[in-house]
Amino acid sequence: MKPANLSQPLQASFRDPSGQLFTRVGVLYRQVNQVYRPHFEHLIESGLYQTLVDKGWLIPHEEVNVPPLQPETAWKVIRPETIPFISYPYEWCFGQYKDAALLTLNIQMVALEHGMWLKDSSAYNIQFHEGRAVLIDSLSFEIYPEGQPWVAYRQFCQHFLAPLSLMAHCDVRLGQLMRTYLDGIPLDLASRLLPWRTRFSLPLLLHLHLHAASQRRYAAQPPVIKRCMDKVALLGLIDTLEAGIRRLTWSPFTTDWSQYYQESNYTAAALEHKQALVAEFLDVIRPATVWDLGANTGRFSRLASQRGLLTVAFDQDYGAVEQNYRQCKQEGETHLLPLVLDLTNPSPPLGWAHQERLSWMQRGPVDAVLALALIHHLAIANNLPLAYLAEFFHALGRWLVIEFVPKSDSQVQRLLSFRADIFPNYTRQGFESAFGVCYRIHRSEAIRDSQRVLYLMEAR
Amino acid sequence: MKQSIDLLRPLLINLPKAQAYLDPGSGSFILQLLLAALVGSLFLVKSYWRKLSVFLRRLLRREQDRREE
Repeated sequence: MKPANLSQPLQASFRDPSGQLFTRVGVLYRQVNQVYRPHFEHLIESGLYQTLVDKGWLIPHEEVNVPPLQPETAWKVIRPETIPFISYPYEWCFGQYKDAALLTLNIQMVALEHGMWLKDSSAYNIQFHEGRAVLIDSLSFEIYPEGQPWVAYRQFCQHFLAPLSLMAHCDVRLGQLMRTYLDGIPLDLASRLLPWRTRFSLPLLLHLHLHAASQRRYAAQPPVIKRCMDKVALLGLIDTLEAGIRRLTWSPFTTDWSQYYQESNYTAAALEHKQALVAEFLDVIRPATVWDLGANTGRFSRLASQRGLLTVAFDQDYGAVEQNYRQCKQEGETHLLPLVLDLTNPSPPLGWAHQERLSWMQRGPVDAVLALALIHHLAIANNLPLAYLAEFFHALGRWLVIEFVPKSDSQVQRLLSFRADIFPNYTRQGFESAFGVCYRIHRSEAIRDSQRVLYLMEAR
Repeated sequence: MKQSIDLLRPLLINLPKAQAYLDPGSGSFILQLLLAALVGSLFLVKSYWRKLSVFLRRLLRREQDRREE
C-alpha cells in the first residue's frame, strides 16, 4: 500500500515559481525553489530580512529540515511564524487597508536600500498579526534589476490605490469590489467611478487616470521608447504613490452603528451587568480563540482579548470596524482583530477552483462564539428561522454566548414598526427549543434593567 | 510595430524571467518610462528641499544656542 502523502499544497500560492506553500501535519511550510536561491541568499546576506523582521514588517521564519513538497525543484524549506487568522482585503476597514498599502511601499523603499525590490505587491501578501500589518510572503523580494520599471506597479495600483481611492472619494463600501476583482480593481473602472476632481490630485492623476489611459492606449501597440527607469525615477514613483495613499482619508463618524452604544437603549446598569456576565462566562469556559459576531466597536470583544484570548471582532459596518481598529492601534492591542463582515452573506471561497481564498467559515472553527445583541437582526430583520441560526452557530464552534432580545424590547419593536409580525416562534421558549436541538444550555441569566437574557451554551 | 518591439527588447530581455512571474502590463510598463523624468525630478527636488530645510533648521538652532550663551 502506498503511504499517504503527509504534505498538501496550499492553493493560494501556485502562481509564483519561486516557491510553494504547503501544510504537513497541520503545520504551514514554504518550499523555496532552486531558481529563487540567489534572491533568497541576497535577502538574508544583505541584512534586509533582519531589518524588516526587526521592524515587525516581515513575518519571521526559520529554516527547517522537513521534506519539501516538490523535491525536484526545491532548495530549502522554511517555516513561517503562524498567523492565527487569515483576513482578506475585502474584510478590511479603510484604516487597515491604508496601513497595508503604506507598509508595502515602506518595504519597497527599504528593499531598494538593500539592492532588492518587491517583485509582487499583492494585497493578499499583507496580514494583520498581533495588531499590526505584516508582509507574509518572504519570497516577494528580488535582486533589483537596475534600469527596469517596477514590475509590480500595475498590481499595486489595482490592489491598493484603486480600492483606497474609491473608498475615500466615492463610498467606503466600494472596498467590497475586491471580492469581485480578485487581482485588484481594473484601473479603467476605478477611473470611471472616481469623481472628476480627483484629476487635480497629482498621484491620482498619474497613477490612476493616466495609468488607465495608458493601459487602454498601449494594450496592443507599444510605442518606441528609448529610455530606462533609473533608481531615482523609481524612488520618485514610490514617493508619489506614498503621497497619494497618505492623502486618502475617510472618517468613520457618520455611519449607523458606530454611534450604537451612545444611542442604544441600554442603561448603564444593564451594560455593566451584561459585561460582568460575558466576562464570567469566558472565565468559566476559558477558550483560546473567540469570534465576536456583530461586534460593533469591540466593547465586548475586549473582554475576551484583554484576557489574552485571540479574538476576531466582525461587524458589517465600516464605521464601527474603523473605530475598533483605531482603538486597537492607539492602545497597542495585540489580541484583537476587527474585520468587516456581513453575516448574512459572509466571504465566499474565491479564485481558481474556489480554492485561492478561503470562505469565512472555512477559517473556523473557533472555541467560542459571542453573539450579543445580534439575534433579532438575523431572525427578524433578515427573516432567518431560529433553527437555521442554531445550526449556523453550531458549525462555528463549541461554545456559544448568545443574547436573546425579546419582541417587547424597544430595538425589536423598532424593527417591527413598519412590517407585519410574521415571527410567532420568536419567543424565549421558541428560541430555547430551537437552540436546544444543537446545544446544551448551561446558563441563562436575565440581564438586569432590561428584558434581555444571556445564555451560555455548549455544542452537542 | 516590429521596429518598436525591437527597441523595447533591451528592456524586456533584462527581466529576470524566472522570478518576474507577474505580467507588468504594457501600458503600466510604458507609463513608468514616460513618467520617469517627471517623478525622478520631483523626488530630487523634494530630497534637496528636505536636506536644505534640515540644514537651515540646524543653522538657526546653532544661532539661537549661541545667543542664549
